[in-house]
Amino acid sequence: MKKLAMAAFAVAVLSSAAYADTIKVGVIGPFSGPFAVSGKNFKVGIDAWLAVNGNKVGDNEIQIVYRDIPQADPAQSKSLAQELIVREGVQYLAGFYFTPDAMAAAPLLSQGNVPMVVMNAATSAIVTASPYVVRTSFTMWQNTTPIAKVAKDQGVTKVITLVSDYGPGIDAENAFKAAFEKEDGQVVETIRMPLSTNDFAPLMQRVKDSGAEALFAFLPSGPPTLAFVKAYNDNGLKAAGIKFFATGDLTPESDLPALGDAGLGLTTTYHYSVSHDSPENKAFVAAAEKAIGNPVELTFPAVGAYDGMYVISRMIEATGGKKDAKAAVEAVKGLSWTSPRGPVTIDPESRHITQNVYLREVGRDADGKYINKEIQTFEKQGDPGLAFVKK
Amino acid sequence: MTAPVEHSATVSPPVIRRLIDGGLIGALAIAVIGAAGYYLFPNNLALLTRMTAMALLVLSLDLVTGYCGVATLGHAALFGAGAYGAGIAAAHFGISEPLTMTLIGAVAGAVAGLVAGFVILRAHGLAQLVLSIAVIHLFHEAANKASRWTGGSDGLSGIMPNAVFGLFEFDLWGQTAYIYGLALLILVFVALKILVRSPFGMLARGVREDPVRVGAMGVSVHSVLLRVYVISGAVAGIGGALSAISTQVVGLDSLSFTLSAEALVMLVLGGTGSLYGALIGTIVFMFFEDTLSAINPFHWLTIIGALLVMVVLFAPKGLYGSAVALVGRFRRRQA
Amino acid sequence: MQTVFSIAVDALAYGMVLFVISIGLSVTMGLMRVVNLAHGAFAMIAGYLASYAARDLGLGYAAGILIAVVGTVIIAIPLERFLYRRLYGATELTQVLMTIGITFCVIGIANFIFGPTLKTIPLPPALQGSVDLGFRSIAAHRVFAIVCGLVVALALWFLIERTAFGIRLRAAVDNAAMAAALGVRTEVVYAVSFAVAIGLAALGGVVGAELLPVEPYYALRYMVTFLVVVSVGGAGSIPGALLACLVLGAIDTTGRYLAPEYGEFFFYLAVIVIVTLFPRGLLGRSKQ
Repeated sequence: MKKLAMAAFAVAVLSSAAYADTIKVGVIGPFSGPFAVSGKNFKVGIDAWLAVNGNKVGDNEIQIVYRDIPQADPAQSKSLAQELIVREGVQYLAGFYFTPDAMAAAPLLSQGNVPMVVMNAATSAIVTASPYVVRTSFTMWQNTTPIAKVAKDQGVTKVITLVSDYGPGIDAENAFKAAFEKEDGQVVETIRMPLSTNDFAPLMQRVKDSGAEALFAFLPSGPPTLAFVKAYNDNGLKAAGIKFFATGDLTPESDLPALGDAGLGLTTTYHYSVSHDSPENKAFVAAAEKAIGNPVELTFPAVGAYDGMYVISRMIEATGGKKDAKAAVEAVKGLSWTSPRGPVTIDPESRHITQNVYLREVGRDADGKYINKEIQTFEKQGDPGLAFVKK
Repeated sequence: MTAPVEHSATVSPPVIRRLIDGGLIGALAIAVIGAAGYYLFPNNLALLTRMTAMALLVLSLDLVTGYCGVATLGHAALFGAGAYGAGIAAAHFGISEPLTMTLIGAVAGAVAGLVAGFVILRAHGLAQLVLSIAVIHLFHEAANKASRWTGGSDGLSGIMPNAVFGLFEFDLWGQTAYIYGLALLILVFVALKILVRSPFGMLARGVREDPVRVGAMGVSVHSVLLRVYVISGAVAGIGGALSAISTQVVGLDSLSFTLSAEALVMLVLGGTGSLYGALIGTIVFMFFEDTLSAINPFHWLTIIGALLVMVVLFAPKGLYGSAVALVGRFRRRQA
Repeated sequence: MQTVFSIAVDALAYGMVLFVISIGLSVTMGLMRVVNLAHGAFAMIAGYLASYAARDLGLGYAAGILIAVVGTVIIAIPLERFLYRRLYGATELTQVLMTIGITFCVIGIANFIFGPTLKTIPLPPALQGSVDLGFRSIAAHRVFAIVCGLVVALALWFLIERTAFGIRLRAAVDNAAMAAALGVRTEVVYAVSFAVAIGLAALGGVVGAELLPVEPYYALRYMVTFLVVVSVGGAGSIPGALLACLVLGAIDTTGRYLAPEYGEFFFYLAVIVIVTLFPRGLLGRSKQ
């Protein structure tokens, strides 16, 4: 019986030659549940890319197969990835919002001869899990490091950090601390908040008592970020002149209308703003807004997906539609292009995206819409976090 | 509730009857269905393996909820303990022999069962439910904190199990993992079948029916329940270990309230108080979840919800329990 | 000393918000004996209605609350008639299965209709900004939540303990058959209580939206919190729920201030201790 399954598998693996005209891309993401906004943005980024570039690369037609993982669940991720590779016969795996999900699927890549394009999951270590992983999103270290410089430039010397108590939060804390101390700043206190925290008033009291001149915060986008920012305002921290620094996760465009005026003036660093001023971005946003229906929901995972599709299209081009993960990944190492977020390169060594990180301030555009307005650019940022990945 | 289920074999000779009672038919059924799954879905073995691990968790839950009447929304604590036990043994101590890992998982699960049982058994009904919720959150938080050992929210990776008996490698396509899991499930099922038929199993049921009377017999109700909890922990721990071995990553989700609630939903869906109900509930729920979410990854939750409501309306004893009741009524009418 | 006061204020505010949101569940669970895991789903429906009325239609906050409460009750009536009525007297597990099913449906529908983003309910100018307490400031809407909580607690207590309806309700809960024999129309009593419970869920959903913002997953995200609060207080006891909210609010807030990284541990250990010491909740009604 092993033979039978092996035969089925062999057919799946070798099927590329037979079906040269349709290339399936399996996308795993949170399309329902608490992170549905992000999953929706994956789909929108992909739809936008297909709308702009068409679904054909050479003679090959791209077909997307979506699979849902509502919350981080490595076992489910692995079984979905396997099902996609073997049953659906996908040539590329993409998506992945959560780190453990990407980690669980990574060991399948070399045996399945399938590259993985990570469109969000932001832990530095993912690219080391397999040589067939390419990432078009960001890492916590990448986006956090510049804000330490910003704080220093604004004359802040004492900072308190508040991060959600889980992997990415701890990454953000470490990254900020490392970068800020390099600038001779002092992190007076580090606070890790349970993910389920919904009332931040006591923490704001703690910030006041710490004597810090500014706070650095990371929370994953979602309901708590809203409560956090409101607590910052309501408890008089803003009035007391305590500055607010964060990564863009706190001010995703999809949350800005809910934040309203409470968000005005918040400074964050991030790799992408929907308001980025470039022809590439205008084209992207136009296509994406058409795909999403409600333009308010458009935010950062969409650009990771859009660029991920570009990378995949180049892989398809390079391999002529044949299933060859190694050649596909080789072909995009060092690849440079102008993304909606600005100039980017796939770093040949780490296979992670090198990109500009922007300092933004929440404001209003001419139509009164809340936006993240870019006010400073940190060019060609790699991933400083890789150095800390334990080998 | 589902006591009439068991009185079907009436005239068979005692030996055969004992074998049947010992779960031979059930074991055969699992083997046949398992083999059918293997041939029908050769490309989806990872899902079937996940079902098997989940079935172990739901069986273990049935033991405390169905047989002893303990209400718990925290049973994943036992499953997760097994998963992390096996995972940490492999990732940090280089113990990657799968049978040993499974054993470690069972022990870890049993210990977690002892701890969880110690807390949860201090109350009844709603209060018990809340204690179980507190327990699962404490376990989850503890694993999140101990990220040096557990990898925290990034998950514990680096688990590389050896070949089973040194012969069968854990291949990418999950054949070994599936067959290994199926074998575990059959063994556990038979063991549980024997257990629930044993005097001890009867005692446990007696506790559910009438704890006062059992107490009056001079038996400590608490100690009976605690022992059941430890056994249940071992079973869930085996499921967790299987998950760790087949996935090679352990995530915090294995210690989550969500997983606990899902297991309870599967159990009630199939029907409590019968091992078959636990298995059927798991298979039906996961099959629907997988199929619906593949058809429409965006809005499948609505349909699952509607299905659950339907089950309560039309099969209030769970799928298995109501099917048995239906068959029973049909037979009576014929007779 | 100032810090202690400050934490006390935060604890009171947080506890009262919890109370407003959870009290409806205490009614369903304690008086109607239904483990209604869909409580959060009703609160969420109300949040969406209020957001739609106040933000998209521009009707204002007060109108938003009214529309939300009435609208949610109207939505809930057919559910009571066709689904919940089957649950009265059913086992807890059956109730859990059905109400979780309803919750899944509501989440899916909300996601489909309103999309996955957060929705806000714009506050009137009077509730925006902060109130100065002398030693610190507190958000005005929290003061509003505290007042709402006190009003709800008093009104409910009066309804249950002091009115003819309350007597019928308690009779129907304690012994439905006997109450019916004495001429109490238990079906009506149950339907009205259910409507009251849903109305409270709706009010809580709207008033608490500043702290727990409205989004599709709301229905499941806070379910555990509601369940814990109600059980610690003693299902069905209004003063118990109030006390539980204040105690848990105080523990949670203090824990968060003193050792935020262990906040969860504090909270759940406290829950274990309280529930072990008071298995029926702090001020639970005894069983018959």
